Amino acid sequence: MQVQGLVDGAVKEVGNILLGKEPQIRLALCCLFARGHLLLEDLPGMGKTTLSHALASVLGLSWKRVQFTSDLLPADILGVSVFDSNDASFTFHPGPIFTQLLLADEINRTTPRTQSALLEAMAEGQVTVEGETRPLPQPFFVIATQNPVHQSGTYPLPESQLDRFLMRLELGYPHPQAERQMFERRHSGAMEISNPRQCIDMEQLEMIRIAVSKVHASENLLDYLQRLVAHTRQSPEFEVGLSPRGALALLDCAKTWAAMHNRGHVVPEDLQAVLPAVAAHRLVPSGDYAGDGDALVDLLRREVDVIGR
Amino acid sequence: MNVQQQVPRNALMWIIISLFALVAPHVSRLPVWVLAVYVVAVVWRLQVHRGRWSFPGRWVKVAMTVSGFIGIYASYGTLVGLEPTVALLLTAFALKFIELSQRKDAYVLLFLGYFICITEFLFSQDLLITLYSVLNVLLVTTALVALHQPGQNQFNRGTIRLAGVMLLQAVPLMLVLFFVFPRFGPLWTVPLKSHTAKTGMSDFMKPGDVASLSQSADVAFRVKFDGEIPEKSSLYWRGLVFSRLEQDVWSGLGYYDVPLSEQRPEPVATSGRPLRYTVIMESTQQNWLYGLHYAEARSAGVLQSSDYRMVSPAPLETEYMYRVQSWTDVPVELELSDWRRRTETKLPPQGNPRTRKLARDMRAQAGSDELFVQQVLDKFNLEEYVYTLRPGALSGSNRIDQFLLETRRGFCEHYASAFVFMMRAAGVPARVVAGYQGGEVNPLNRTVIVHQFDAHAWAEVWLENQGWVRVDPTSAVSPLRIQMGLEEAMASEGSFLAAAPLSPLRYRGIPLLNQLRLRYDALTYRWQSWVVGFDSEQQFDLLHSMFGEISTRIFATLLLGSWALVLVPVAISLFMKRDTHPGSPLDKYYRMFCERMAGLGLVRVPGETPGQFAQRTMAELPAFGEQLQHITGLYNTLAYAGEMDKAGLAQFARAVKRFKPNRRRALVEEDNTI
Repeated sequence: MQVQGLVDGAVKEVGNILLGKEPQIRLALCCLFARGHLLLEDLPGMGKTTLSHALASVLGLSWKRVQFTSDLLPADILGVSVFDSNDASFTFHPGPIFTQLLLADEINRTTPRTQSALLEAMAEGQVTVEGETRPLPQPFFVIATQNPVHQSGTYPLPESQLDRFLMRLELGYPHPQAERQMFERRHSGAMEISNPRQCIDMEQLEMIRIAVSKVHASENLLDYLQRLVAHTRQSPEFEVGLSPRGALALLDCAKTWAAMHNRGHVVPEDLQAVLPAVAAHRLVPSGDYAGDGDALVDLLRREVDVIGR
Repeated sequence: MNVQQQVPRNALMWIIISLFALVAPHVSRLPVWVLAVYVVAVVWRLQVHRGRWSFPGRWVKVAMTVSGFIGIYASYGTLVGLEPTVALLLTAFALKFIELSQRKDAYVLLFLGYFICITEFLFSQDLLITLYSVLNVLLVTTALVALHQPGQNQFNRGTIRLAGVMLLQAVPLMLVLFFVFPRFGPLWTVPLKSHTAKTGMSDFMKPGDVASLSQSADVAFRVKFDGEIPEKSSLYWRGLVFSRLEQDVWSGLGYYDVPLSEQRPEPVATSGRPLRYTVIMESTQQNWLYGLHYAEARSAGVLQSSDYRMVSPAPLETEYMYRVQSWTDVPVELELSDWRRRTETKLPPQGNPRTRKLARDMRAQAGSDELFVQQVLDKFNLEEYVYTLRPGALSGSNRIDQFLLETRRGFCEHYASAFVFMMRAAGVPARVVAGYQGGEVNPLNRTVIVHQFDAHAWAEVWLENQGWVRVDPTSAVSPLRIQMGLEEAMASEGSFLAAAPLSPLRYRGIPLLNQLRLRYDALTYRWQSWVVGFDSEQQFDLLHSMFGEISTRIFATLLLGSWALVLVPVAISLFMKRDTHPGSPLDKYYRMFCERMAGLGLVRVPGETPGQFAQRTMAELPAFGEQLQHITGLYNTLAYAGEMDKAGLAQFARAVKRFKPNRRRALVEEDNTI
């Protein structure tokens, strides 16, 4: 009861800022609760940055934002040692990455070199600058946004780096009703983004994590998960199947999803709910398959039998 | 272009390989420019693949097609007939390859490839050719498989393994079809080969025309005796009888030359045990069949001519097997009709006056026909006559005079012809017989292999109370030729197979090669008698011996039954495979529940979770709402909440078994609720 109440409160708070996007907000929270990094992919102006801001505020995390540009260097994110003439030594000036939530805006606009500096930090939870390893604050989240790759002037992330993101979400155009509401708010002058209030503090975040770890995944459910994974590896529509890391990510997210709904065990619905966000960016359709990753995940969901033989 | 329609590079490579493999066996029959077309086609298509050149435009294609036709016409002088047609097909095959751009083009090309593979059998049904064709089928199938493996941008040798496995799986069905499928007669007939350049028997004989005889080492036919093989020197394989001499040409009597009353040969009173044997002829494009003296065919469909030869009603276009029995000692045609006597003593009114005179003189001196024959043979034997394969040409209108009294050099044709001429000049009925003499015994399978170079001509003389008697004047000149065969007889002259330097027969001296040659020949015999010769008659015999009376229904049943015999195990093994992981009893009961719902027209799709399914079905059948909820709740608890125990399972099983929905009741209750 507790967890669901907390989550519902947070979703509602963020939903006040980003209208009509409850499912995505819920998934984004699920991603953060599962200690994963989040990739938001959509066209400019769809509310990616708004969502990231709101999430940081709701969780009460310290956050910094880096706008990725094509001339951004790794040191600009990680930090740099500067010679201090007063005490004749180098002192380290930490970069924006030393925060709890880093908003990496338009990550695909920067060069692969800078991308990988960030992605390494995401994987390790620590940063090595000039031979010295410095731990990052805990918790450490990255919410990266990117434009779809067919926009010009971008460096698309390779599959291996996409895999580092637990979830990828697309926001999509708002529902007409929600959009209308937005227009009216702007008209009435109430549009100024007021930071949402903090709904979940660090203690509660820890409590949620404990709840997640207690969620039970039954044999039947694991069978279903394995059938899903096996299908991506065997079916001709898939060029690249789900990696074991991808499969674990699916399980983690499904458990978190179950916990967020106050359930002590995972049901197939949980897996199906997180499946598109977790799997779509990890799957590569084969040359024969006409659709994109999302269509592929939909096919996967429809074709794999929930019930075992 | 849609990626589905592209031809993967791997498939392209396999198509090129099969292209060349398919044309290879035809090379000797094709004009050289057709091969050039193949090279150009492959180069062009590869350049297209590399993006250097583009596909040919429409007018270029039209021009190429038209010039293909013109080229074939120019090379063969005709467009009909087997060889021009096949050449045309092969040219079209290469041209089609140039414009191969989509998958559907590749289908056309590959199916044509299978067809081209078959055309090879129109020319030869040899064992090696068959093996090669199997390879071709494998290659074409590999290309077909590669076509269905999208995204293979590297040449992949593994594809051929998959194709091979697929073909192997087809072998049982192939065998069933081979043995059981009805053999229809040809639905249409292909025009005969236009170039029968084989050195075989011809239906006339003109001694002295060729200066030297070139022999071929090709096999004429193979014989398998049921019992012991008779002495080699007694093996005179009669094929043709030349009864007519006109302008130095010996020829046989045509069908219309024989009056109706003489068409049926006088029955021969046979006695004693016959020699029984089976002959497998190579294709000759001719009608005549070979057999020993007084031969009666035991196979159906073989006719007997008025001069006691065996004749096939249709020319032999493929290998042909027939069974024969011969009585070698029995006299034939003891009574000679007037017409027959006139025919067999007829000579041209003029020519060869010295021979005629000589014959008349010798006959008068001899006193009897029998002695006369003996004296002529003695003359050949004692005087300076030479047996040679290089006698030099004869010319002029008195060729027999020239040969008999001047050159005295010749081979069987010369001697047989001169002998018969002398007989007829003296009024003794005689005729020339052409066929083969002797043969090579293959010790491995006890068959007699008769080669083209065993061709021979001899004579038959009609004697009172003895009928037709075989006389071989050549044996009087060169007994070696008959006793030992041509090779030994010609050892000093060195002319044996002089025109066939590569024939394995020339290397009989090397034991290993000879052993290999004989072994291959034994294999060929089996191949011909068991596979190529397996015709509708043998099929009928086989099926008859196995099943008794044969009717269409039995045929159909057999066909279906044998297919079922092959396919049912496959189906069962597939079915068993599916069941190797027995599902949990829980899922089994849930599936039972799903089946009952399906009976109501509510089918659960695979991706539907029990919860979603329950929601959907409850909306459809509110009357069962409680039960559906109960069952689904139980399942979810047992399957996912980790509370699986025997009691729970039993409860679930009970709930499912008790759930017996009935559409009508469901609807009725629905009505009530409304």
